[in-house]
Amino acid sequence: MVNKELLATEILPKVSQPARYTGHELNAGAGYRAGAEAALLLAFPDVYEVGMSYIGFKILYDIVNSNPVWAVERAFAPWPDMEAQMRLHGIPLYGLETYTPARSFDLIGFTLQYELTYSNVLCMLELAGIPARADRRGQGDPIVIAGGPCASNPEPIAPFLDLVVVGDGEEAIVEIMSETARGKREGASREAILARLAKIAGVYWPRAQNHVTRRIVADLDSAQYPRKFVVPFLEAVHDRVALEVMRGCSRGCRFCQAGMVYRPVRERSMNDLCELAEALVSSSGYEELSLLSLSSADYTRIKELISRLAAEYGPQGVAVSLPSLRVDSFSIALSRDVEKSRRTGLTFAPEAGTQRMRDIINKGVTEDDLISAATDAFESGWDQIKLYFMIGLPYETFEDIDGIAALSRRVLQLGRQVAGARGKAGRARVNVSVSSFVPKPHTPFQWFAQNTREQLEQKQSFLKERMRARGLSVSFHDVWASHLEAAFARGDRHLAPVIERAVALGCRFDGWSDQFRPDLWQRAFTDMGLDSSMWANAEYGFDDSLPWDHIDMGVSREFLVREARRAESGLTTPDCREAGCSGCGVCRGDVRVRLAGAFAGSSSQGGGQA
Amino acid sequence: MSAAVVRVRLGKGDEIRFVSHLGFMRAFERTVRRARIPVAYSGGYHPHPKISFATALGVGMTSEAEYLDMELAPADSCDLSTQDVFERLQPTAPPGMPVIAVCAAEGGPALASRVEWASYRVDVHADARPELEDAVLEFLSSDSAIAKVNTKSGQRRTDIRPMVREIRWSGSGALECTLACGGRAHLRPQDFIAHLDSMRGRGDAPMLGHESIGPSRIHRTGLYFTDREGGDLLSPMNVECKDLVMAWS
Repeated sequence: MVNKELLATEILPKVSQPARYTGHELNAGAGYRAGAEAALLLAFPDVYEVGMSYIGFKILYDIVNSNPVWAVERAFAPWPDMEAQMRLHGIPLYGLETYTPARSFDLIGFTLQYELTYSNVLCMLELAGIPARADRRGQGDPIVIAGGPCASNPEPIAPFLDLVVVGDGEEAIVEIMSETARGKREGASREAILARLAKIAGVYWPRAQNHVTRRIVADLDSAQYPRKFVVPFLEAVHDRVALEVMRGCSRGCRFCQAGMVYRPVRERSMNDLCELAEALVSSSGYEELSLLSLSSADYTRIKELISRLAAEYGPQGVAVSLPSLRVDSFSIALSRDVEKSRRTGLTFAPEAGTQRMRDIINKGVTEDDLISAATDAFESGWDQIKLYFMIGLPYETFEDIDGIAALSRRVLQLGRQVAGARGKAGRARVNVSVSSFVPKPHTPFQWFAQNTREQLEQKQSFLKERMRARGLSVSFHDVWASHLEAAFARGDRHLAPVIERAVALGCRFDGWSDQFRPDLWQRAFTDMGLDSSMWANAEYGFDDSLPWDHIDMGVSREFLVREARRAESGLTTPDCREAGCSGCGVCRGDVRVRLAGAFAGSSSQGGGQA
Repeated sequence: MSAAVVRVRLGKGDEIRFVSHLGFMRAFERTVRRARIPVAYSGGYHPHPKISFATALGVGMTSEAEYLDMELAPADSCDLSTQDVFERLQPTAPPGMPVIAVCAAEGGPALASRVEWASYRVDVHADARPELEDAVLEFLSSDSAIAKVNTKSGQRRTDIRPMVREIRWSGSGALECTLACGGRAHLRPQDFIAHLDSMRGRGDAPMLGHESIGPSRIHRTGLYFTDREGGDLLSPMNVECKDLVMAWS
């Protein structure tokens, strides 16, 4: 156990947000004990408030914690002020439950949510006193595992990982814990346990570079979902009951990795959801219940679900919320149901400014959809609308970028008209957020080069010029951050030394604009004799082998090629829930689309065309 | 009929000493919701439970005297006794937030505006005590004591002597002090300790400076109103209150 007295007297009084490092939250588990058959440290390479918002992390914690013979704790990346104090006083990375040093655990499981957290993974290993390189670890070192969306191409970070879990973790974690416990019981060496774990389905062993197939939980109702959440004292980014209504999305937006790698759509049953809601609300005391998924308005019986939950929990002071909205009137109607009092801002993601470009990316939204949704929103009393767009998409022209400005202005004008009718034209605001397209593995756009930094900067200033109007504001995602994200998303093992070098130079929290140091990253690439554009801006051919070819996410290469070709011709591909199977290849055996109750059809929901 | 107000005394334990005041308040609000106590909500766009705390505690300190008033929803208040409130809160409160006492407050001014004094216990290293005893005696015998204090707008110098009501040594060697607390005059215990430390420092490396006697050695033992006539200290649980329920453990 680390020195708690030292922490309390010398360290924590000097750091920002000290409650990040003290644990003892409501519903936290008992944590490490020497007699546990297998002990896991769940590590999140970002700050506490971010990691505590992530549902996958909560699910895994709950599964391990609920087995009395296992032990689990949580660790998050210490903010630079805390890192400095830990180094100064020789405090290693520790679990929040019992302050047990990371090195004491059998397994360390990192969640890889975002490429720009890789530097934090290395920093946490260093603070833990564990060799960064998997091949330098030996008997006595924990086995370092990672999972999460970035596992779909783990190569840039693979040399630092003993194992990678690809896909849904609910079943894999149980197998990993059981195998570890069995190995320990039998007195197996670390090496022997590692080899056994590598045989589990969905587990990738970077040393062996084995072919791996994504784990898919066929039926979410049968998968364990927490009935208790650890309730932070610090306000987490998403500090609320998150109820995962379904997993997967089959709308088929061609840029969207989540929309490809979480297929097929699997809805939880209404019964399950209502029961979970009751358990979670009463055990947490949260004031908000959020219906989580990639597109919650698509949940087959969403209207019924919301009215049941709102009727049950509204009177208890618990608000029901929808984190993601489709661009259509149906979604506005749902928002009206859930947000009876809060009418401040609403967010839509048309993603592209022209119909041509929206067809290329298969974003099933028309300008009419957006205009009618925005009209409904303004008429229902929302004054502010936030619009998300991307620049740098495949086949983009300046006309498409101009379309972003035109569409934004049209929405603003609409808002001024509607608000003007109430004598408050000046209150209408449109905030436009523009990110740069990052080509991601296992999407139809995986072969495309990202625009160069110069191109993206040029497009940003082009757009900025056209967005000058009262009531209109625009913000851009950092070009360097998107560039690095692309390099690591599409990269291979040559990038591992660059990450090591960047961490040595001091890179941390690269996803935080106030911490991000593109200059240091640039130096790290130069020092290693490499150029980040070799990965970010590489265009691959359909026949080229890709760094992530051995990771099978379930969606077939043929489907992705077909989708890429359709994109080039401007052809859309409808959602398989409405138009029948589009042949993505993910459904096999008992893995199939599972909907809660009878499918209501598109016309009655007002959504529909994809 | 006016809504019933319940006054609650909480502790803040070692486990959660680094939780901010905001986090502590939020944790209590969630406790109330878990305990299914029908609390009244404010109107407006963002309804909030009507719970008001007496005063904030510095991050890093522990306490056995965190007071709050909570207004119950009018429809339900009549059949909920303070015993009921206590019994619902106690098992649902998070670790490090013991429910010490509950009573019914009978209106009057807001809790925050009535608090005037707070008492603290400060752990002092045994080898630093002799010199500190001298500093305490000197402090008590003087009529004024100009000290550096930290405020929201920065550091300033002020006379803290009137803001110190009592200083004494406990049997176990801890320094116990009663300092002004609230809107009219407020002395942070760290500022008071730093001042005593500077009195005895005289060029030596200060043994008790902020470095070694940070907030984690300070424990709040009480909050007090004063008797309007005699100026005596009164517990918030004893002023215009009834139906007191206390934890006896």
